Amino acid sequence: MCGIIGYIGPEETGRIVHQGLKNLEYRGYDSAGIALVDDTITLAKTEGQVDELTAPRADGATAGIGHTRWSTHGEPTETNAHPHTDCTGEVAVVHNGIIENYEALKAELSDTHVFESETDTEVIPHFIETQLEDGVSLLSAVQRTTHQLEGSYAIAVTAAGHEGIVVARRDSPLLLGHGDDATYVGSDATAFIEHTNRVTYLESGDIARITPDEVAIYNDGERIERETETLEWDAEAAGKSGYEHYMLKEIHEQPRALRQAISGRIDEFATSVDLDVALPEEYLRSVDEIQIVACGTSYHAGLYAKGLLEPHADVRVTVHLASEYAFTEDRDPWRTLVVAITQSGETADTLSALRDASRAGARTLALTNTLGSTVTRDADDTVFIRAGPEIGVAATKTFVSQVATAALLTVHLGQVRDTLTSEAATELLESLRDLPGAVQQVLDREATIKRAAETYTDSEAFFYIGRQAGYPVALESALKLKEISYDHAEGFAAGELKHGPLALVTPDTPVIAILTEEAAAEKTIHNVKEVESRGAPVIGVTSDPVTTDVASTFEIPSCGPLEPVVANVALQLFAYHVANEKGRPIDKPRNLAKSVTVE
Amino acid sequence: MKAVVLAAGKGRRLWPLTENRPKPMLPVANRPILEHIFDALAQTAVSEVLCVVGANRERIQNHVGGTYRDLEISYVVQEPQLGTGHALLQAESLLGESFIALNGDRIIDAELIEAVIDRQRETTEPVMAITRVKEPSRYGVVALDGKTVIGLDEQPLPDRTKSNYINAGVYAFGPEIFAAIRRIDTHGEQALTDALASYIDDRRLEAVRYRGTWLDISKPWDLLTVNSTLLGTERAPKAPGRSTAIDESAVVADGTAIGDDTVIHPQAAVLGGVSLGDNVSVGAGTIVENAILLSDVTLKRGAVVTDCIVGANTTLGPNTTIEGGRADVILEETLHQDVTLGALLGDNVAGGGNVTITPGTIVGNDVTLGSGTYVSRQVDDDSHVQRG
Repeated sequence: MCGIIGYIGPEETGRIVHQGLKNLEYRGYDSAGIALVDDTITLAKTEGQVDELTAPRADGATAGIGHTRWSTHGEPTETNAHPHTDCTGEVAVVHNGIIENYEALKAELSDTHVFESETDTEVIPHFIETQLEDGVSLLSAVQRTTHQLEGSYAIAVTAAGHEGIVVARRDSPLLLGHGDDATYVGSDATAFIEHTNRVTYLESGDIARITPDEVAIYNDGERIERETETLEWDAEAAGKSGYEHYMLKEIHEQPRALRQAISGRIDEFATSVDLDVALPEEYLRSVDEIQIVACGTSYHAGLYAKGLLEPHADVRVTVHLASEYAFTEDRDPWRTLVVAITQSGETADTLSALRDASRAGARTLALTNTLGSTVTRDADDTVFIRAGPEIGVAATKTFVSQVATAALLTVHLGQVRDTLTSEAATELLESLRDLPGAVQQVLDREATIKRAAETYTDSEAFFYIGRQAGYPVALESALKLKEISYDHAEGFAAGELKHGPLALVTPDTPVIAILTEEAAAEKTIHNVKEVESRGAPVIGVTSDPVTTDVASTFEIPSCGPLEPVVANVALQLFAYHVANEKGRPIDKPRNLAKSVTVE
Repeated sequence: MKAVVLAAGKGRRLWPLTENRPKPMLPVANRPILEHIFDALAQTAVSEVLCVVGANRERIQNHVGGTYRDLEISYVVQEPQLGTGHALLQAESLLGESFIALNGDRIIDAELIEAVIDRQRETTEPVMAITRVKEPSRYGVVALDGKTVIGLDEQPLPDRTKSNYINAGVYAFGPEIFAAIRRIDTHGEQALTDALASYIDDRRLEAVRYRGTWLDISKPWDLLTVNSTLLGTERAPKAPGRSTAIDESAVVADGTAIGDDTVIHPQAAVLGGVSLGDNVSVGAGTIVENAILLSDVTLKRGAVVTDCIVGANTTLGPNTTIEGGRADVILEETLHQDVTLGALLGDNVAGGGNVTITPGTIVGNDVTLGSGTYVSRQVDDDSHVQRG
């Protein structure tokens, strides 16, 4: 969360930085600011969204930095917005992450420096100011400053009279973009992807000084080289293509995302998968537990993966909320595989859990959407979900791609471990192949779902129930609705209803039941009867409306073991249309940011 | 220069395929009609395209996005759809002094667009491209005086056609066209051709004669003929898509278009004139000839599929027979005699084994065909066909 953009080059700096902030708005949008530099620093900041920010005028500006913020320390006010400056107003800094020792640093500096904001960040420009007083270069000043900082940071620093932008990172992501006669800085590639797709990912501990035509990277005082990579994402894929919201665009992209997730990974004639997993087969055979660590939607994908892996790969699977995870001593690290699921590859809680597992000696595997992200370097091995860029804060296509990739991983592990019957392998792979077409069918029936959503817009609360694979889908579908409509929505294991939550059910609380394959629909039907007799309206999501006997259904095509995923797509559309009917800012739900890079 | 592509039409004669997608998204040579049009535009002075879209516009927006080659693409929604003139009015505020307008369902060459642009530049009058066809009465027949259009009759009786020249559906206009459209109101609809027919009463409309590729797709069998015409040309994909798998024992004719992730199983024969979309599975021993299979189609073993269009995500069971050949077909209450159409099957049709489909059959979307059924004429959406 929080977005950084930096630009140094011949074009109109203010415009490019402002556009970069617009691109990054999905990472945070409670305040924003821009600093342009030539002989002086020109600042503009605002509380609220990037649209409310006017880029400062500075015709001679040769470099600029910008920031869009998702508050952690200090309220979202103009004063707390980045860039922050020193006492002289000649050093400007934008920062993602958290400086853990900022109070101590602030106390140390406060005799001679005046602090204006409540942020942790402001200590950085003031500390740099003290170093510059020694007459050293901006690079050295930043280097010395980073030695004092504890915690996580990605920073971009400019100073009046100093050529170039100096950037540094520890844990928080930062990358550089190489244009023909300009250089870009971004917290992710979205910031500048319309200008260049040639990028260099900085690693933890790197400091770099950038000028229009040169990038000099240092680590531990040594000049080093980092690889330049070419990203396949183009600016267009990150645009809205005529859709009102990114979320709706991404919902409609799911057939394509799923095709990409499975493309080239299934050997049709051998009924096997090729996932390019580098973890040795002997090790995979010896594993007796898989621990999945993830947050939010990825956690739900993890729960789904557990239901696939346990029976087919014959391995115990535990799924952990990354923020609650610790590798405990009662597990044998040599026989435990820790799988991190994170869309962005930068989720701080998940990275921290993964590091804990690595320290304990367990091997780690990342399931992510983002090439070059931190998790791909931290984990021993990575499998990409290949969903393409996801900008909507509410994850949609990445959930289905995560589950599809988990199904491929299941077949791979099941075959390596010789625990998967050929019948089950055929069934899973056929279901995967059917998935894009089945999802397309749900999208073709959007009008029906929209009408249902309009009917229930004024409901007091929404409850989602499911069993087996239907349970994570119930959780995920409820999360979608609460994220974007702000309605109270909860997912429950259907059988748990009578043990408490049933007390919440009234005629004003619609209950959505996942009645698909792999979801013990014949049992959930009894729970549907329980809520119906309390007068709650019920919507059943099913491929078999004849035998399910529910008054109102979303009919989905039958799709074998992955049918609950298809149900999820129908419920994404339901959540979207409830929220849209209420006029919610669907791509920028209040208080939420796309990838949460603080713990 | 900007171009407006009219892509909001319903394409009712191509039911059931046009229920789930706009007509310009129907594939020929494995690429949507719209892509073929964009390819032509990309080779001209046009740099920006406004796509007027309507029902199922998601299909276009998803597929094309915001750019196509060097073209910048944006979208204008026409809702409700009240004719081609009305469609053009939706884009009015976004268009400059002169622009190109073209129908989203005709495949043409870049030269035609260039010629239209040039003529407008020379004459500063609105321009219509015209082309010669065998059956002009199916289209808007043009009467000419030198290089000027003096008459425009929409689908006249065959014995009343004034020439073999028809409106090719490619125009260059200036702002004058919007006033002409606004004067028209035919039962609440505004057709561009009606507007032009009255415009020429007192103003000049320049004609550009055109002899190059002009492929109109308005009926199911047009899809098959245009598909086989384009296969093997530069308009067709040069190589199979990514991650395809073709068994060594299968026979695949040269020029077959094969999409990503498509699998052809042992002993299958894919003969001439076939386009296989993405993620299609052609079962063992299957025979496919002169056919378009949209994405996610599964043909189980032993099926025979001839002269046929198969909608997306449709599965045909083992030994399904679509023998192909000529038949009489009724579309939108009009009888078309002796046309080549084995069958047109909608999306998500689920067929059992040993189904026989007679020539000229049209099957709707989401239909279930029980094992051993004999299917003919027309089957409505969502039907279940069982053996009697």
